[in-house]
Amino acid sequence: MKMKATLIAAAATTLMLVGCGKPAVTTEETPTSESTASPDAAAPETSEPKRLSVFSWSEYIPQSVIDDFATETGIKVSVENYASNEEMLAKLMAGGGAYDIIQPSEYVVEALVKEDALHPIDHAAIPNLKYIGPDFLNMAFDPGNKFSVPFMAGTVGIIVNTDLVKDEIRGYTDVFQEKFKGRIVVLDDAREIVSWAFETLDIPINEFTPENLEKAKPLLQKWLPLVRVYDSDSPKTSLINGDVALGVVWGGEGAKLLEENEKFKWVIPAEGSHLFVDSLAIPKTAKHPKNAELFMNYILRPEVSKRISDEFPYTNPNLAARKLLTPEQLSNPASFPSEEEMKSLQLFKDIGDQASQVDELVTTIKAQ
Amino acid sequence: MTGHSGTFRRKPGLLAWLVFAPLAIWLLLFVILPTGMLVALSFAEQRGLGTIHFTWTLDNYVRAFQWTWLKVLSVSVWYAFLTTIICMVLGYPVAYYIGRSGPRTREILLALVMIPFWTSFLIRTYAWITILSKEGLLNTVLMSMNIVSEPLTLMYTPFASVLGLVYNFLPFMILPIYSSVERLDGAMIEAAHDLGAGPVRAFSQVIIPLTSPGIAAGALLVFIPSIAMFAITNLMGGGSQPTIGQVIYNQFTAGRNQPFGAALGTLLLMIFILALYLTKRYRKE
Repeated sequence: MKMKATLIAAAATTLMLVGCGKPAVTTEETPTSESTASPDAAAPETSEPKRLSVFSWSEYIPQSVIDDFATETGIKVSVENYASNEEMLAKLMAGGGAYDIIQPSEYVVEALVKEDALHPIDHAAIPNLKYIGPDFLNMAFDPGNKFSVPFMAGTVGIIVNTDLVKDEIRGYTDVFQEKFKGRIVVLDDAREIVSWAFETLDIPINEFTPENLEKAKPLLQKWLPLVRVYDSDSPKTSLINGDVALGVVWGGEGAKLLEENEKFKWVIPAEGSHLFVDSLAIPKTAKHPKNAELFMNYILRPEVSKRISDEFPYTNPNLAARKLLTPEQLSNPASFPSEEEMKSLQLFKDIGDQASQVDELVTTIKAQ
Repeated sequence: MTGHSGTFRRKPGLLAWLVFAPLAIWLLLFVILPTGMLVALSFAEQRGLGTIHFTWTLDNYVRAFQWTWLKVLSVSVWYAFLTTIICMVLGYPVAYYIGRSGPRTREILLALVMIPFWTSFLIRTYAWITILSKEGLLNTVLMSMNIVSEPLTLMYTPFASVLGLVYNFLPFMILPIYSSVERLDGAMIEAAHDLGAGPVRAFSQVIIPLTSPGIAAGALLVFIPSIAMFAITNLMGGGSQPTIGQVIYNQFTAGRNQPFGAALGTLLLMIFILALYLTKRYRKE
């Protein structure tokens, strides 16, 4: 039918329109057999059935990386995604799927370790752990890396479209000015937003007591009406479209914008920011923990880690992988903060049921 | 046949129950049970990493009646109401035209109305972003034709939110009204004209009441889902105006308070039931 052909053409065009934008910088090579430099070239087998269930952040592990792991080891990998730690926790606690690999952020690892919900990992099965830089090992939320291996780290910072904003922006206070009303994008994350207010007011960023929330309230009441878009999934969309002129976004999103167009500038807020470290971990209920350890070891391979960095330019904790990156990638300030900046970054801790109060505060102010 | 005087009614036999059984089971498993679980959850507490403790407390409902949540609920209902009215105004003429057209035209037009469903509604909503954004299609055209000197701010506004909702739900208004219009007895309209009614009066006093079941069905199909369709209002509206759907979603994720989310959800359910009840009453009159 002629109509069907027209429709298919229209649908295809729409899909293309939506999917367009500079394609992610992906590497052309698809290493089928790893370089001989790596002693783990032939993936060892385990006695478990050849299955693996991965529960990861969306936009974090390239599908090609997963496919290559599957081809190499013959293990069938099923992947489910989530967009927030709490979503992952909710599903994990509900006991729906038995996931073998999860990708929690640092404060969630801390909480899971406290509740004894993670499977201890066997370092002998993960020799590639040696490639991780000492800054990212043995961190406060998992001393000795008993339960987790670092995947990627990153920060939250300020991105500015210098074509539209001529002022110098140094921190949150510079972003949230009346003159930028209706031209700001921020993450849709109540805890993040309140922590920025805490940093500006010199309140410890993990103490979400009712008193501290009250102290931060006036500042938030000043800031939030200036925001046009709240977006944790893809804040770069509104920046690229020109609908907003500046924002506070994830480091990886910032890095992609910097790669895309020179008009974007990245600034780590002077008031302070935090470092997030996402790790791979194995829940206690996992059915294939040995396969999961194989997967962890595979991800830690320098070549594999480099491919992940190519597609999602966060802060790569794998020093051997960093050697494989291009100078442009390494000099991207949103991907790799300077030494000084790294020192100034704090870590989030688990805040338990204070999360509810934080969410209510931000919702109340937004609703006004 | 049974010897009873009065209305001829067949009592459902075994066969009827067997045929009804799959639907009954489906309703039980996927509607009644989950709703029951939701209402039960609303009386619980969440602790620690996410374990639920059934303490049978009313705290969640007390909290739900605070200003913040009521404001969010009322904004969502307002958007839904606007969407329904706009869909009615836009959809009725279309449905009427289709219903009164010849069979060939009617098929083509109906197909056109239903074609958007072939693509995911999320993708279609994203497409609007490419049209409405500052450097998008509409602004580029308006600027190049010198109709405006500065790009219009259309995205991430309440206007965009309602536009997204109307765009998605318009077919749900058109199709029920169409089926009512199709069943219109031409003789009724002729009779109205014969009795001296002008076109306006015939329309408002004969046609609209006769098609009111379709209008009511369409209104319900649009109003109820659009209260909580936060995927659209978030994408198009930017999230600066929280809607009840987003708020409930937050409770199950970042807010780490599922029972509270369940309480808000139950309140939402009450609103739906109220809407259904009012519609039924309107139809009876």
